[in-house]
Amino acid sequence: MSETPILEAKGICKSFSGVKVLQDVHFEVAPGEVHALMGENGAGKSTLIKILTGVYTMDSGQIFWEGQPVQIDSFQDCQKLGVSCIYQELSVIPPLTVAQNVYLGREPMKGPFIDHAKMREMTQQLIDKYEFPLSPDTLVENLGMGQRQLVEILKGLSADAKLLIMDEPTASLSAKESESLFDVIETLRSEGVSIVYISHRLEEVYRLSDRLTILRDGKNVEVLTKDQIVPAKVIETMIGKVVDESAGSRKMLHSDDSAEVRLDVRGLTDATNKYRDINLQVHRGEILGIGGLIGAGRTELVRAIYGVDKAASGEVWLDGKKLDPTPKNSIAAGIGFVPEDRRNQGFIPLLSTVKNVALPNYDIVKMRGRAIDDGDELALGERAIQDVDIRPCDPAKRVGDMSGGNQQKVVLGKWLMRSLNLLIVDEPTAGIDVGAKDEIYSILEDLAKQGVAVIVVSSDLQELIRVSHRIVVMRKGDIVKEFKNEEVTQAMVLAAGQGVESGEGTAA
Amino acid sequence: MRGKFSFNTYSKPIILIAFIVVLWLLAGSNFMNVSNIGSVLNSVSVIGIMVCGTIFVFLIGGIDLSIGALLGLTGVVCVEVINALGATPGSVFVGILAAVAVGALAGLFHGFIVTTFNIPAFLVTFATQTAFTGMSMVITGNKIVSCTQPPLFTGIAATKILMLPLPIYFMLLMALISWFVLRRTVFGRQIYAVGGNPTAAEISGINVKGRSIACYVLSGVAAAIGGVVLASMNQQGMASQGADYVNSVITAGVIGGVSLLGGEGTVPGAMYGTVLMGLLTNGLNLMGVDSTQAGLVTGVVTIAAVALDAAQHLDQSKRKAGGLFAGLTKRKDVAAS
Repeated sequence: MSETPILEAKGICKSFSGVKVLQDVHFEVAPGEVHALMGENGAGKSTLIKILTGVYTMDSGQIFWEGQPVQIDSFQDCQKLGVSCIYQELSVIPPLTVAQNVYLGREPMKGPFIDHAKMREMTQQLIDKYEFPLSPDTLVENLGMGQRQLVEILKGLSADAKLLIMDEPTASLSAKESESLFDVIETLRSEGVSIVYISHRLEEVYRLSDRLTILRDGKNVEVLTKDQIVPAKVIETMIGKVVDESAGSRKMLHSDDSAEVRLDVRGLTDATNKYRDINLQVHRGEILGIGGLIGAGRTELVRAIYGVDKAASGEVWLDGKKLDPTPKNSIAAGIGFVPEDRRNQGFIPLLSTVKNVALPNYDIVKMRGRAIDDGDELALGERAIQDVDIRPCDPAKRVGDMSGGNQQKVVLGKWLMRSLNLLIVDEPTAGIDVGAKDEIYSILEDLAKQGVAVIVVSSDLQELIRVSHRIVVMRKGDIVKEFKNEEVTQAMVLAAGQGVESGEGTAA
Repeated sequence: MRGKFSFNTYSKPIILIAFIVVLWLLAGSNFMNVSNIGSVLNSVSVIGIMVCGTIFVFLIGGIDLSIGALLGLTGVVCVEVINALGATPGSVFVGILAAVAVGALAGLFHGFIVTTFNIPAFLVTFATQTAFTGMSMVITGNKIVSCTQPPLFTGIAATKILMLPLPIYFMLLMALISWFVLRRTVFGRQIYAVGGNPTAAEISGINVKGRSIACYVLSGVAAAIGGVVLASMNQQGMASQGADYVNSVITAGVIGGVSLLGGEGTVPGAMYGTVLMGLLTNGLNLMGVDSTQAGLVTGVVTIAAVALDAAQHLDQSKRKAGGLFAGLTKRKDVAAS
């Protein structure tokens, strides 16, 4: 591609409180190309996009638009240039019509009034041009997610966008909606619109993109052209050879199938198809890792096993007894659950460590008549603080004011006070520093040694491989792969999650 | 927190004592005598009784705007039943039971609607407020229903023990019960958990919906007890009898550090707010401030108290705009989702 790139970012550096998030990143998009951007969580994709769209200010570097140096400080700057960004969280306004959304803030005027007829006509022209399955007068609240996304795209196109940035556009779309989005992307490309396509889904990237930039640890490691975009190469580049050879990425799994089955999930199926006909067993003393992409149905599955959400059909058996999963029943059956979203679901921020720890445990706290024995409650809290090693230890401190690592220890610690049969942890170390991570791993390993069955859901491949005895990988609601009693690498798990069958051979 | 003296920890008693000292200096023995203190406490006893129930709703992040109208309705129900049964001593018990039943049913209704349809409590209780007043008007034909017999009924407000009117003892008893429930029982702990983070509470095995409904019932029952006391004080039932009390109860809670966002607040705090309001009104009275201006002063003091509390919250935690300002300006989804 010898043309002048429509957008070129050179030497972009960005640090957050001393941590280098982007280092000397180079990124360019040619006119009319679909340029994919990939990288693991935390590789710096979002930061780069936020710099390009003026949300963050870069520490150093330069941005060129059609060869001219430009400064992008705000969303308005972006719009003026013709850059439009479609975030995962759509910014359409449901009670307004398609036309009203498309021209929001830029309504054609007739004197002091909005020219509705013209607005509808202009929207219709755009719809016709790109052959979108939309009508200008439909209320957006009556549209599905896929169509809402098209409205968002129209918004960008109506402002004469020359570059569309799409962040995980298929994350909330059905397979059919995704297909029509791909058609739209093809149309836009043929119209000469450039597209930056961010996705974790390799198959999409493979199918759509002309070029692919891969970020790793805040650096761009490689720009691949279409003929170079092959799954093995991409995965290898994303994970990085350095990590690949480290102890954390390759492990011989040891799963003891002869041990007694503690958890037995039979044909669990979700009403909205987030997971389908899941059959799963966890043995005494086994740590089962569940891998897969975000949105593969892992969180929904474990929430249903614990009973926060109800499954449409299927059974959960624990130690040979059938459960009726609700949080209350699960707790009574000796199941603990550490939810994915710690801040919003894990703890009560205004309450102290002691009261957070005691919350599911009042059946084992001593009572004096109707009154809680404060001394025994405090003793329980202090025991948890010791067991999970919360430092500094102030039993009265509000959990909301503690560090992420300590918060997670409180959430985990409250379950350790009970005699557990099964512990489910979802993304147990997200946003936690390395030291606390290791401590949490050893807590999980100790539990397993005591015979507890443990389920770990994680998007962190290194973590998954480090703690699991056996790994199942979910993809689009199904368990697509099981790794046990064999050597496994991050690449193999990643490949399975992305639906690439050649996964086994990639690491070698 | 422990061992170190800080103004934040003790701000409430300090302000209370400062208030008393100032009033003492200004009004001398007019203020500092048993009869006046009794009348201060008596004047806020109905507010105090109500706040002991409504605090449960505040703590789960809800609100009950209907308590004023419910105060009127339960008073009306009580006196109508007493009058209908010939004002016998037995009729008093039946009347009180009927009033409490009405309060509990109202609470049950609020709790059910809020949790089942996930409608903000603000809207639900705003609507029932009007409905309850309307009900009272229908029952009474929009007239004052007087009830001066039997002495057992009028005695609820008029009896004095140790020179202090009986309603003060009711207030204290209610406060003790609420304090015990919130501070010492599992139910109380669960209420704070539900208010602090309903999702986390649910994962911890708490029946969030059931607990929320219980809180609205307690609020309704406390309003009913207040309604009976107020009807006895006034020796009458009337639809508009409790109209001003919603504001007073919310103000007492807010001054006392009860967060309208839920999860934060204590019974002693709410009682402090109640007594402070009584002192303020009394002080203005003793100083000869016209009652037409008293409302203005109360409003200013309320804002000052809230601002002070918000300032402390800004100190204490990194939560921006925490404390009561947040409670007053932001509303979160109240119901258990």
